[in-house]
Amino acid sequence: MNDRNDRVSGRMASPADDADRAVLLRVADGQLDALQDLYDTYRTMAYSIALRITADASLAEDVVQDAFLGAWRNAARYVEGKGSVKTWLLSIVHHRAVDAVRRRRPTVELPERGDVPPSSLTLPDIWQEVAGNLDREEIAGALGSLSDVQREAIELAYFGGLTQQEIAVRTGTPLGTVKSRIRLGLLAMRRTLVGDDGSDDPANELGTP
Amino acid sequence: MQPMTHEQAVDLAAAYVLGALEAADMAAVREHLATCPESHVEFERLGGVVPYLLDTPDLELVEPPASLGDRIMAAAAADLATRGAGAEPAPQRTIAFPSAPEREARAETRTGRLGWAMRIAAVVAIVILGGWNLLLQNQLTVAQRFDQAVSRVIRAAGQPGSQTVVLTPTENNQASGIAAIRPDGSVVLAMRNLPATKGAEVYETWVIVGSAAPVPVGDFHVDDYGIAATTTEPTHAPPGAIIAVSREPQPGSTSPVGPIVSTGVATAPSS
Repeated sequence: MNDRNDRVSGRMASPADDADRAVLLRVADGQLDALQDLYDTYRTMAYSIALRITADASLAEDVVQDAFLGAWRNAARYVEGKGSVKTWLLSIVHHRAVDAVRRRRPTVELPERGDVPPSSLTLPDIWQEVAGNLDREEIAGALGSLSDVQREAIELAYFGGLTQQEIAVRTGTPLGTVKSRIRLGLLAMRRTLVGDDGSDDPANELGTP
Repeated sequence: MQPMTHEQAVDLAAAYVLGALEAADMAAVREHLATCPESHVEFERLGGVVPYLLDTPDLELVEPPASLGDRIMAAAAADLATRGAGAEPAPQRTIAFPSAPEREARAETRTGRLGWAMRIAAVVAIVILGGWNLLLQNQLTVAQRFDQAVSRVIRAAGQPGSQTVVLTPTENNQASGIAAIRPDGSVVLAMRNLPATKGAEVYETWVIVGSAAPVPVGDFHVDDYGIAATTTEPTHAPPGAIIAVSREPQPGSTSPVGPIVSTGVATAPSS
């Protein structure tokens, strides 16, 4: 906890990040043993995330397979400086898992919305993590700083695969309230993780009611 | 789609970074981010937090089944093999139904190697034989059906002690496939390019050990796409055993009557 101030100044790249990047370069080069390394490092996290979102072991396996194949084919598109390899990879898992549960839910998404590219072609956007590598205790602290309703909204969105409209319906809450819970919740996490919520730019303070 | 204004995009930033928008809105925001010259600090500010949700301490850690890694590596190997392949026609390798001395000689040359590397080699062989060319030809249904059948085989091949078999077409045939022989001697088979059967015709799987007579282990039918997935009765099938598929005039043949369309040799598991 004492070194938080060091982290605020810039993202710390850990030796694990560097090792991951070296592995990913070899994955981009089509080396199968590098993919095996990447899989061995992240299979448990990847599968656990997929299982949490899909709540279905066989679907979770398909998601993880799909995600690692996506990483295998798109490793060259990983951009250093936007986030760690771990974040990139697990974001792909998350993205595919949410896709999978939404496809299974008939009420959402009609496929005929023409100009949306097939999900297999889109990679998730990732941003540079605010403070590099944190341990679980610190992350627990950040999550603990959320109010119950903020936490619920964020969890339904991120691990439930629900859209903000669906969260509004599910929780019987106006859409505008859901939007601000999500946003304020993320900002509260940010404040706990790095000690600021990045709100020194007044132009961006007027987002949602 | 109506282009999104900067204000509309910023309003959706929190939901966007969490992936909590419908696909059309996700796409509209992505499009906006790619084209709008203004600063998008709100997205960075909120998006930078999201990765930590993946490390949430209440995520129950569950180990995936061992077979998943095999499936992924095999699929990646197959993908790798198609990268260079382009539009080149698959080389037509044919293996005639081997004589007993040939079968024995072949069995001796088989050496066991490491688990997934061996299974990948088997899949790559299929790719070279043109299996994944189906994808290039856009025959998606066929490819997906074959892929499902192959997934079953790869899953079986992932069991300790399983052997793999790559089946190649005999002369004037196109049927090829992949099989795993489980430790109990049952054969999990995925075949493609099998001609449709007529009347009472069936396909039969044969296991041939050394110079012994072929043993029928199970008949099966082919679907409308020339794909078959089947699992045979357990039998004695040591490394070097030949697996053959023939088209029989009716079920119940005790020795091959119809033409042998595809054959392969069981390859030792990793030790």
